[in-house]
Amino acid sequence: MSSSIVQVEELTRRYGDVTAVDCISFDVQEGGFFGFLGPNGAGKTTTMRILATLLKPTSGLARVAGIDVTRDPQAVRKLIGFAMQDVSLDLMASANENLQLLGVLYGMSRRASRARAAELIEMVGLTKVADRWVSTFSGGMRRRLDLAGVLMHSPRLLFLDEPTQGLDPHARRLIWDYLRELNASGSTIFLTTHYMDEADTLCRDLAFIDKGRIIRSGEPAELKASLGGDVIQITFGEEAPMERVQSVLGRLRGAQSLAVHDQTITMTSANGGELVPHIVRELDSAELAPVSLSVSQPSLEDVFVSLVGRSILDDETQLVQGRDPFVEGRR
Amino acid sequence: MRLLEEIGYLFVRGLKQSMRPTAALLPSLFMPVFFFLISSAAFSSVARLPGFTSGSYLQFYAPAAILMAIFFSSGDAGIDLVVDITSGYLDKLMIAPIHHLSIILGKLTAVGVRSMVQATLVMIIILLAGGRIVTGLPGLVTILLLGGLFGIAWSAIGMSIALRTRNQRATQSSFILFFPFTFVTTSQMPLNLLHGWYRAAVQLNPVTYVLEAIRSVTSVGWDGRVIGMGFLVALCTGVCTISFALVSFRKAIP
Repeated sequence: MSSSIVQVEELTRRYGDVTAVDCISFDVQEGGFFGFLGPNGAGKTTTMRILATLLKPTSGLARVAGIDVTRDPQAVRKLIGFAMQDVSLDLMASANENLQLLGVLYGMSRRASRARAAELIEMVGLTKVADRWVSTFSGGMRRRLDLAGVLMHSPRLLFLDEPTQGLDPHARRLIWDYLRELNASGSTIFLTTHYMDEADTLCRDLAFIDKGRIIRSGEPAELKASLGGDVIQITFGEEAPMERVQSVLGRLRGAQSLAVHDQTITMTSANGGELVPHIVRELDSAELAPVSLSVSQPSLEDVFVSLVGRSILDDETQLVQGRDPFVEGRR
Repeated sequence: MRLLEEIGYLFVRGLKQSMRPTAALLPSLFMPVFFFLISSAAFSSVARLPGFTSGSYLQFYAPAAILMAIFFSSGDAGIDLVVDITSGYLDKLMIAPIHHLSIILGKLTAVGVRSMVQATLVMIIILLAGGRIVTGLPGLVTILLLGGLFGIAWSAIGMSIALRTRNQRATQSSFILFFPFTFVTTSQMPLNLLHGWYRAAVQLNPVTYVLEAIRSVTSVGWDGRVIGMGFLVALCTGVCTISFALVSFRKAIP
């Protein structure tokens, strides 16, 4: 039976009047692959920075491997690795120099640090450029090197904050493969992302966070099954009166939930195939013509939409909440 | 023991960071050499003024050029630190299981050594231009030690601004401090030829005493009182600025 490597109890972090993290509680099992999902500014990074000892909570408790992160941060630091949202490397140093310095700072001998750096650089496919300054690397190469740096001291718990943000699909898949291997070798992975496909592919446990609060947690399959069947998405043109559309479709029997996001209606139903003819008929008699209609199995994105009534990538949400006050304050 | 090791590793990293790319070193070398060559040529006749007892103006101005080299090289420390802050690299160091003090001390020692290197290069140019160090090699070592100490003290100001503002432009603007601290001194004229408020301001400026100590070594000879005063002022300045930097660092970290 596995034990919890992360325990968070009623954790709160405020920045002046803004509550970035609002009394959240959750556990992460040792050896697990945990996804912390939510839109920008939801409180993911703040929570992770508290757990990584970079930020003190306003109240509540956070433990890593049973150690209180505020009482003994040095002990926690030995156990964790943290790949931050923005790649943090010394750009005017080579890949080798970057990793070797981290190795010795984590207490490795110079020889061991050299050997480990070479091994990791090979693992992330950067051996040919190991002695080039990082400033000459592409975004994907930097991200891979950053990840290698986090692994120098073989941490028990790995925090990854949006590890594939801004990467092309090929680079994302490479990173996913490394993460799966790491997890298989025993490291616990704590990942934040707003890419739902990433979370669905990698994570075994999830928690959705929005406006600083955890709104739902569980296994991906369990969360998707909770929607109770199929997801029907109907998209309308720019001019369509969405309030009227919502009112017409809201009257339909057989729809379990209904959410509007821009010009798209997302509905859930136990049997989407049966409901579609009724939808078409109702829209037709109301003289409302959709641009597209699709029926699919629910995704994690659908789970989020059903929980909060908007997409995790909602632009408006990013504008209103996208300012992580901590990051803002630091820049 | 572990603290010393950490300082050593971060010193090497800081030194590499401050000297890369090599081309970026040129402005901090060019400015003191430019001022030295221009001023010693433009004001050469000042040496004939009654009361000017320092021989050639070139020889008189040389310590100011050395000091400028130290100012310019140590002034970059704040920029290096703010780059680490904005890139997230400082956070990476903060979550390593090391003494946080070693992050600042490693950087300060790197600044000291870089100041010495820059001062040496400027001194070579001064010697090639006809200047001299009357106290010889021991004098050169004395200048480097004093320069290194003062470089560390001065760099702590930029580092404090970097830690408090976390902003590159604000940190870069600390460069303006260079002007009053360099020019309201005896860099251009000996104290006995200065009068009124300007003379009083020059005497209040701690940099004057560091400058006079270097001048004593390059042009006068071993004057223990003047040289000792230079070291004492550099040390006291360092105690104040480094304390402020450490307080700023403490405030900046969780």
